[in-house]
Amino acid sequence: MIPLRHQALLVAAADLRAERRTGEVAWVAIPFGVVALLVIPMAIGIDTALLARLGSGLFWVVVLLFGLGVTQRQTASGSSAHDDTLRLLGVDPAARFVGSSLASAALLLGFAGIVGFATVILYDPHLASWWILAAVVALAVAGLAMVGTITGAVARGIGSRTTLAPLLAAPLAIPILLGATQAMEGMRQGAGILRWMLLLALVDSLVAVAGVLTARPLEEAAG
Amino acid sequence: MIRPLEMAAVAALVSALVFGILAPTDVVQGTVQKIMYVHVPSAWLAYLAFVVTLIGSIGYLATRNLRWDHRAGASAELGVVFTGLALATGSIWGKTTWGVWWTWDARLVLTAAMFFVYLGYLAVRRSLDDPHRRAARVAVFGILAVVQLPLVHFSVVWWRGLHQPPTVIRPDGPQMDPPLLFALLLATVAFTAVYAALLARRTALAALEDRLTMERATSEPVAGAAVGRPEGGAP
Repeated sequence: MIPLRHQALLVAAADLRAERRTGEVAWVAIPFGVVALLVIPMAIGIDTALLARLGSGLFWVVVLLFGLGVTQRQTASGSSAHDDTLRLLGVDPAARFVGSSLASAALLLGFAGIVGFATVILYDPHLASWWILAAVVALAVAGLAMVGTITGAVARGIGSRTTLAPLLAAPLAIPILLGATQAMEGMRQGAGILRWMLLLALVDSLVAVAGVLTARPLEEAAG
Repeated sequence: MIRPLEMAAVAALVSALVFGILAPTDVVQGTVQKIMYVHVPSAWLAYLAFVVTLIGSIGYLATRNLRWDHRAGASAELGVVFTGLALATGSIWGKTTWGVWWTWDARLVLTAAMFFVYLGYLAVRRSLDDPHRRAARVAVFGILAVVQLPLVHFSVVWWRGLHQPPTVIRPDGPQMDPPLLFALLLATVAFTAVYAALLARRTALAALEDRLTMERATSEPVAGAAVGRPEGGAP
């Protein structure tokens, strides 16, 4: 029997290989996110001071909304044949949840990195510490990836999945958005950010526990 | 048939209405303050309803008994109605006191988010016919969704906004005149009784809906039944 951790890594590697073949995130989600950052100033005006102030908030909105698209990509949804194969191979549902979340988190990190670079170029936001920013991004994308994986599993096989899954995930991800934006704002103003980091870590922990515990019933319901 | 609980709910609602009208008018806000007798109980019932949904969700996953799922679904429907009522009454109250229908206050935004989370829950329920498949999926979502509740409740403590902090449940006791507090508590009891009566009805209806779905599924002709002697053919 393959250990759970190894199973999770195999699932993550398979998900990432599928993404490399289709390029859905690289060629669709990332350009779309950058286009969103480009068109926003056309709607709110080109006051550079205002845009610099709004930059980090807009970055998080784009990461949240388009990042959920990354977690609901076609390769993550899996076909029924793919699901049956994994079940027959005896892959633990919890390992599948962890593996899929890992793959989504890795892709989200890449997505946030490129969109973040575009934000710096286009908006020139004030960033006090790159290390803290990296920690906030890591916690936020981990939470988004897990929320996206669970809601994707809840909506699996439903006709309106592509619209339903983001509807389920977006409001659930609001605590993550709040924690991330407030941490960035706190960093900008030189105020304490520890409680926002703790909020992010708490939400991540709760979602991780919920995801692992509910992976089996969700898989049974999909079968 | 009208049940005793339903009669008690109607009686409590009439009493709450009378006491709400007779309660003294707020010196600062005037008559509009009486919206509180609908707004606060609605918000409380939204919390209660979603906690019942959580309990029903855990109950279903632990026992695989659909009665838990019916209760969870019925409670979520009522929770969405009461959340909508709290948002609507809050908006009317806000227009008269703050001058705007909506403001970017943490309590308001998070309550609206909670409303959409449970709308999503109901959307998943409607998307699946098979009772057990549906129950398992929405149970997971019902457990995950409850993370919104503490955020909504403590938002007025964690963020400074226009929405006032807790007035009744606070460490130093309620900050409200006794006649107003009594009317508010009576309205809360009345709304809770209405919730309990509607929950019982909707849970029973959900069980009947599932029974009908399962009976339809078993009475549908199977593939082999279509193969037979054509009508009017040779004997």
